[in-house]
Amino acid sequence: MTAFLVLLLKEEKALFSSPIAYAVMTVFLLLMGYSFTLTLFLSHQPSLVHIFFQMFVLFMLTVPLITMRLLAEERKLRTIEVLLTSPVTELDIVLAKFVASMSLIVILLMLSGSYAVVLAIYGDPDWGPIYSGYLGLLLLGAALVGVGLLASALTANQMIAALVSLSLFLLLWIIDSFGYLLPSPFDALAVNLSLSVHFKSFAVGSVYLSDVGFFLSVTLLTLFLSVRALARR
Amino acid sequence: MSPVVVVWQLTKWYGPRRAVADVSFAVEPGEIIGLLGPNGSGKSTIFRILTGYLAPSSGTVEVAGFDVVRDAFAVRREVGYVPEDAPLYEHMRVVEFLRFMAQIKGLRGRAIGRAVDAAAARLDLDRVMNLTAGKLSRGFRQRVSIAQALLTEPKVLILDEPTSGLDPHQVIAVRDLIRSLAGHQSVLLASHVLSEIEKIASRVMILLDGTLLTADARATTSTDVRLRARISGSESEVRTSLAAISGVREVSVEQVAAAERHYLIDAEPSDRVRAEITRTLVARGLELTELVEVRADLEQRFLDLTRRRSGKAAA
Repeated sequence: MTAFLVLLLKEEKALFSSPIAYAVMTVFLLLMGYSFTLTLFLSHQPSLVHIFFQMFVLFMLTVPLITMRLLAEERKLRTIEVLLTSPVTELDIVLAKFVASMSLIVILLMLSGSYAVVLAIYGDPDWGPIYSGYLGLLLLGAALVGVGLLASALTANQMIAALVSLSLFLLLWIIDSFGYLLPSPFDALAVNLSLSVHFKSFAVGSVYLSDVGFFLSVTLLTLFLSVRALARR
Repeated sequence: MSPVVVVWQLTKWYGPRRAVADVSFAVEPGEIIGLLGPNGSGKSTIFRILTGYLAPSSGTVEVAGFDVVRDAFAVRREVGYVPEDAPLYEHMRVVEFLRFMAQIKGLRGRAIGRAVDAAAARLDLDRVMNLTAGKLSRGFRQRVSIAQALLTEPKVLILDEPTSGLDPHQVIAVRDLIRSLAGHQSVLLASHVLSEIEKIASRVMILLDGTLLTADARATTSTDVRLRARISGSESEVRTSLAAISGVREVSVEQVAAAERHYLIDAEPSDRVRAEITRTLVARGLELTELVEVRADLEQRFLDLTRRRSGKAAA
């Protein structure tokens, strides 16, 4: 087993032995289940578009809870000193924490897949927007986990890490509204930084390379900066 | 045999504050080196640089032939490190933590179990193997931390305050363990407890304000030899008489008995000075009942060196 796999296993155990993972899953499923049922009974449409937008918001609210402890806790307990004086790289540590957090995101998405199954049993849904919606949520989740991980790499205080990532998510969610008030070229910049602008097309069934590129770029950039933050000692 | 640790002109700045200033020393294979200094003197910073955790601001550091900056990964394989206050994962059971550490240190298959069992037996951890780290006493936390450092039998073992928080029995056990490593592994041990260092280390280095005052505090220099004299008579007369002798640097009263005082004379260690002291005191009618040479112990050396350094700083 490589150092990365050993670290990943440790992270998975830490994540799933803490109550946070189960609290996030419970809140997520309760809210989404209620919303799905209500939307379905009211609209009678075999579609998950509304659910995808609600999951988009819920991800922004719950990802900070998953990521806040990742590196901040290691710094606070000084276990980071134990790790970084062992033959493992900063990249191994950051990737293990990222992949472990993504596993919870994937579990949430898989559990919400039951809604698509219900639609398939009782109706004839258009599968294109469903596939693209899930792809968009997966990419969004990766970008949010990346930003949360970076916030956690910069402080030893979990609350600060959570607040910084939550603030950033909210800013990136509504930044396009400010964009319309700004002069050129800042208006385009603000709109292009918006998470909701890039996610919208996935939710309604369109996959643009620019949107995929945006989420992948945010993910890779934040992972790179997290490694740099860890290496800066 | 070439040194296993070579530190050359090491300096470390934390922003505008210099934590380590131009430190140089070498550690031979099998040596147990004690790094003695008050809190904040730079011991932990030097250790963190030796383990590759911190990068030096200037100077070079080699461990087992590898440069800590260029070959940090290789250095980490050769070093076992016990940080101060024994940081552990609170949610992990001791056995899980040791297995995890064995795996990230590169052990695979049955070697993991063998290394964990051996380290647990060595540190007497069998009773606590299934407890989570959060439930361990400070003494056991320290022992678990030492056990993880020993898992791969590293060439260099670095222990930052390894006996802090241990009860006297545990201190003795850890001390015996460290002594048993002499000859097999090089050990660098930091402490601000002088008696502990004195009992374990084969060589003692003294650090103050980031500066290495001596790389071998036990090595005797001319200033370490003093004369102890028992003299009856007025103290001022004794002081005046001794001060007039060339080669006498300082006179202090060590002990006051009924009719006589015990003086400690910091003087050039030569027969001429001793003869001159005897002659002068007798000529003045002062009664000299004892004049012996005493060599400074580690405590005295530490006090002398740190006092001299503080004096220089004040000047």
